[in-house]
Amino acid sequence: MFGKKRNNDTHEKQIDPELITKAFAKAIADGDIVNLKFLFGPFSPARKTSPERFETEKYSYMIAVDDQENDPVFADALRMVGSPEIQKHIETELAANRPAQLPSELVLALGDNAVRLKKYTSAAQAYELLRIRARMQEQTLELADEALDVGDIKKAARGYVIATGLEYDYAAFPEPLPKTPNYQMNALILHGEYPLSPEDCLPLRETSAFLQIALGYILLNNEIAARLEKRSIETRTEFLRELVRMRDPGWDGFLARYREAIKLRHEFAERIRRANAIESGGESDLENEIDKSQGEDPVEMPRALLGRTIDNGTWWQYLKELAYTHPAAILFTTRQLIGGDEIIVPLHNDESPVAKALGLVSE
Amino acid sequence: MSEVNTGYIDFFSILGLDENARPGDVRKVYRKRMKALVSEIARAEITEQSRVRYLLDMAQLNAALLVLRESGPRDEYWNERKALIALEDKWREAVDASDDGAEMVRREYIGRLQSFLSRYCEELMLAAGQDKECVEHSHWDNAHTRHASRILRFYRNDLHQKILERLPYVEVTPPEIDFEERRRFIAGVLAEGS
Repeated sequence: MFGKKRNNDTHEKQIDPELITKAFAKAIADGDIVNLKFLFGPFSPARKTSPERFETEKYSYMIAVDDQENDPVFADALRMVGSPEIQKHIETELAANRPAQLPSELVLALGDNAVRLKKYTSAAQAYELLRIRARMQEQTLELADEALDVGDIKKAARGYVIATGLEYDYAAFPEPLPKTPNYQMNALILHGEYPLSPEDCLPLRETSAFLQIALGYILLNNEIAARLEKRSIETRTEFLRELVRMRDPGWDGFLARYREAIKLRHEFAERIRRANAIESGGESDLENEIDKSQGEDPVEMPRALLGRTIDNGTWWQYLKELAYTHPAAILFTTRQLIGGDEIIVPLHNDESPVAKALGLVSE
Repeated sequence: MSEVNTGYIDFFSILGLDENARPGDVRKVYRKRMKALVSEIARAEITEQSRVRYLLDMAQLNAALLVLRESGPRDEYWNERKALIALEDKWREAVDASDDGAEMVRREYIGRLQSFLSRYCEELMLAAGQDKECVEHSHWDNAHTRHASRILRFYRNDLHQKILERLPYVEVTPPEIDFEERRRFIAGVLAEGS
């Protein structure tokens, strides 16, 4: 017990070199810049000086499972990591007592795999390290514009999504970071001012102006969206439709709820009309009594839009959550003061080609 | 000497003066330029883009006056700038010579670079908006400050990025990029989902 030293603590840590190679290959194949940096970091299980070990449960996520070992992308990464020059570089960097210098070949392959896997923030970091991010973005946009020229909307939309995904936020604290989707905040900015007239309502703006706002919002980048300004309304509408479906695979599910909310809005407007008619001299009838007994809570509208109730939820809470779950949904809502409460209500122009293209209106 | 010192803000060149200019010259040129800028703004159609540019021009002129009109702050600024440029050169030389001390020099340089840019491209530009002489000539007010804080943060980061991009690679080995191959890669990714 006390006083006796345990000899096994003094043994040098043994690491299976194959495990190291496979862990690096997995990070490359997964397009995972965080794992790659960690593998070179001071507490990396790949370092002899670190007490961390690959064999422990917490690092199981770094080791490729059998299925992945048969994947050609992983096989390519394994070949690359296993090359004598890269192996030598990895060994040198892991043995050195200083911040490691990552091999650019691996970082480039990682970035490319990240793009294929739609892990754009990881790709942006890899390309930023290589100082090619802005040029990759520009090349992607050029190819997307070429696709748009020949009417390939899907390819163009994919290009714009990739290019905006590679955007960097140089004002991030404490260091520049990839820009991440922030629809919740942008939705609040778009609905920042209460609309005093129908023309102020975002969904009722003139089609071209609406498309400009909508594309900037969905792409999360007004400058990149401005490249589309000269395209025809038809092209921009189709482009927006494609983007919305790419960003939100659950859009069709939302449409059913949106129609329900529109139905509620019509019913509510009808009740108001009747109430006004009664107040101005009409008399109550059985229909009105039934209406009253059914309740007239306008909050049913944001509830229907969101698909759930937020306890004591205010308009902006509904708006933010709606923007998070279905980003494009907030383009077809507006703020409305009813009684003493402000809520969000569904709204679109029945004649708008955008509303038709997005399935809000049956054509 | 490093590549034309780009990125290290030069208040003398903002005013179109050389480094031996007297405080009297600084004031004279500042007033002339600010007057021209203010009248240009009054005539121009203000868009989001032009607002950013005018605000930045105004903040730079104000800061140039604040820093250069007295010898104390002027010498401190100019010496700090010269030391920073010399440190960049020292680091480059250490990297070229594979010197073991390169990492230490790099850390010192990065720290001083951040401090220099924060001070002269952000803090002093905002502080100039509170200076009586600057306010009198530029009509700078709280609304300017509110807009400028965001714009100056971007401006500072932009300069920082410009400098970092020309420095030796540290976090990764210098890459060999074939942009034709890059274009083919992107085209391939875009075609994959078609």
